Amino acid sequence: MPTLIKDGAIAADSWATSAETEDGQRPLLPPDTWRATEGGAALLLDGDAEPHDDFAHAPLIAIHFPEFKDGRGLSLATLLRTRHGFTGDLRAIGDVQPDLVHYLMRCGFTSFVLPDGRDTAVALRSVNVHRHYYQGSVTDPTPLFRSVARG
Amino acid sequence: MYRYDAYDQAFVDERVAQYRDQTARYVRGELSEAEFLQLRLRNGLYIQRLAPMLRVAVPYGTLSSTQLRMLAHIARHYDRGYGHLSTRQNVQFNWPDLEEVPDILAELATVQMHAIQTSGSCIRNVTTDEFAGVAADEVVDARPYCELIRQWSTAHPEFDWLPRKFKIAVNGAAHDRAAIAVHDIGLQVKRGAGGEVLVDVYVGGGLGRTPVIAELIRTDLPEAHLLTYLEAILRVYNRYGRRDNKYKARIKILVRAMGADSFRAKVDAEWEHGRDGAQTLTREEITRVAGHFQPPAYEPLTDQPDVLGDARLADVDFDRFVRRNVRAHRMPGYACVVLSTKQTGIAPGDVTDTQMEQVADWADRFGHGEVRISHEQNFVLPDVRQRDLPALFAEARSAGLGATNLGLLSNIICCPGGDYCSLANAKSIPVAEAIQRRFEDVDYQFDLGDLDINISGCMNACGHHHVGNIGILGVDKKGEEFYQVSLGGHSGHSGNEAALGEIVGPSFARAEVTEAISRILDTYVDNRVEDESFLHCFRRIGIAPFKERVYANAD
Repeated sequence: MPTLIKDGAIAADSWATSAETEDGQRPLLPPDTWRATEGGAALLLDGDAEPHDDFAHAPLIAIHFPEFKDGRGLSLATLLRTRHGFTGDLRAIGDVQPDLVHYLMRCGFTSFVLPDGRDTAVALRSVNVHRHYYQGSVTDPTPLFRSVARG
Repeated sequence: MYRYDAYDQAFVDERVAQYRDQTARYVRGELSEAEFLQLRLRNGLYIQRLAPMLRVAVPYGTLSSTQLRMLAHIARHYDRGYGHLSTRQNVQFNWPDLEEVPDILAELATVQMHAIQTSGSCIRNVTTDEFAGVAADEVVDARPYCELIRQWSTAHPEFDWLPRKFKIAVNGAAHDRAAIAVHDIGLQVKRGAGGEVLVDVYVGGGLGRTPVIAELIRTDLPEAHLLTYLEAILRVYNRYGRRDNKYKARIKILVRAMGADSFRAKVDAEWEHGRDGAQTLTREEITRVAGHFQPPAYEPLTDQPDVLGDARLADVDFDRFVRRNVRAHRMPGYACVVLSTKQTGIAPGDVTDTQMEQVADWADRFGHGEVRISHEQNFVLPDVRQRDLPALFAEARSAGLGATNLGLLSNIICCPGGDYCSLANAKSIPVAEAIQRRFEDVDYQFDLGDLDINISGCMNACGHHHVGNIGILGVDKKGEEFYQVSLGGHSGHSGNEAALGEIVGPSFARAEVTEAISRILDTYVDNRVEDESFLHCFRRIGIAPFKERVYANAD
């Protein structure tokens, strides 16, 4: 079973964990279907999707990573958070790699689905690899040079 | 030079701990090859033809003597007693044990060094002029901007998983010694009318299998906007750069596909959102970082033409050293000295542990404890008192670092090639050696004058063959090593505009390369007018006379 991690802890909810919806799960819908569906549905985006303001109405946006090394989802997440007003749960699905979770979180993801065989403990630990980063991010827009006195 | 504060130190220490954990998990079988590959690349570790290769970052080519001694220690303790100076101003070790790499990184961290982002599809070590801060023709010291970019690009949340590697070079001098025209981003820092620092931004240059000269996409960008503008470029590239074909994934392909004007428009539209955001550089931050690059306490000296003149008359080799390897310093009585690693029989850029320690000692005794690595794979001592030049030369010569061949034929830029690299189509080091042996007559080299020969073992172009006056590229023809020769390339230094070489014709077997080079040089010597350099001669007469001579029947 894939593992959902949300807000830094193992969690469970009823959203599907991929484009496939299993029994009892609520689906993740691509933009066209999502727009044609009554409110409350979740949105599924590929990393190369163009972000739009109406996406802000979704309770959850899942961004699919075809490969963990494909960083397009990181830019898309950043844009959804900083330019298109999305404040709901932003979820990484697909080939999520536990050592890379700190990149996801700093780009505004709040949850991610770890595939089978990937180490949950590493993913939870990854969030705290570094105490400080040099540059600003979605979660902490202030770069180090503006936030502390440096030597 | 830049000294870490507690934040810098904490970051590299945390990174070492993270990588130690990742290595241990890989060794225990808990991390797949594909996952560990990406993680180790971003910590400098390649698996090469014969063994792992660790590429240590030397930010913009600047080292302290203490750091160089640590590299000597690593060469001796973890490797086979030598290291390699790369064309991107880094240091590579060819024989580390994969399981010992975390220990090596921990040792590096004790002297404020790391191997972060020296490989992988991310923003690589920023490079600049090896004479930054001391060059007589400097307008703006590029090093503070390099350091600001280093910090901004380190573990950037959004830009560490790009379509392909990404190289940024910065030049602040009148002459471009950083080859900004052939980088993913090239930055020219300059002064505006009021003395303020402005940046010209070039994008989409590069070598590799599709060599391209970069497009100028922004002029006169105020320095405060440097990072937000870089973010706009990187975001456009990260989102729209091709990921389906690694040979079409560099930003140069995107810029060409979109057209420079459309690309610029896209970047500018993106920048309108980030402009004046939190990442905008503050005066305090620029001043803080620039404060790390204040000049050392120079002695009040005067230039020493007489002392040097006597020594030059007494020793023809010293005279050659002064003519070729000593460069003008902005302070009277001082000089910048290039110590060449290009000795016949030694792979270009290879230096032993002992040589590293000797260079560190000279940096302390004759300078202010600082060493540079040049993209030509040589050491630079930036602050040598002119009166110490004879003593330095004597020691360098006996240490095997006294070749007087800067800018001459035998100062060959050469990648590790098929002897070490798993990507190579052909060996490059033996070709360099064969050329050095064939033309070892120093008088002949001086007569030929300025001549850059660059050799790459494959079209990834680590040896920068496209911008060599004579470029040599190893190619594979049905399992045999062949070499394609190009003429007229130039990286943009010494006031010459950057240019890509033109292929002379069908490629040569390895045994034929030196004869081909010989005929090319003869063509030049027969056609040159007065002091005309090889490059200028080529530009005047074109490739035809060279082609005709090279492929003429030996009879």
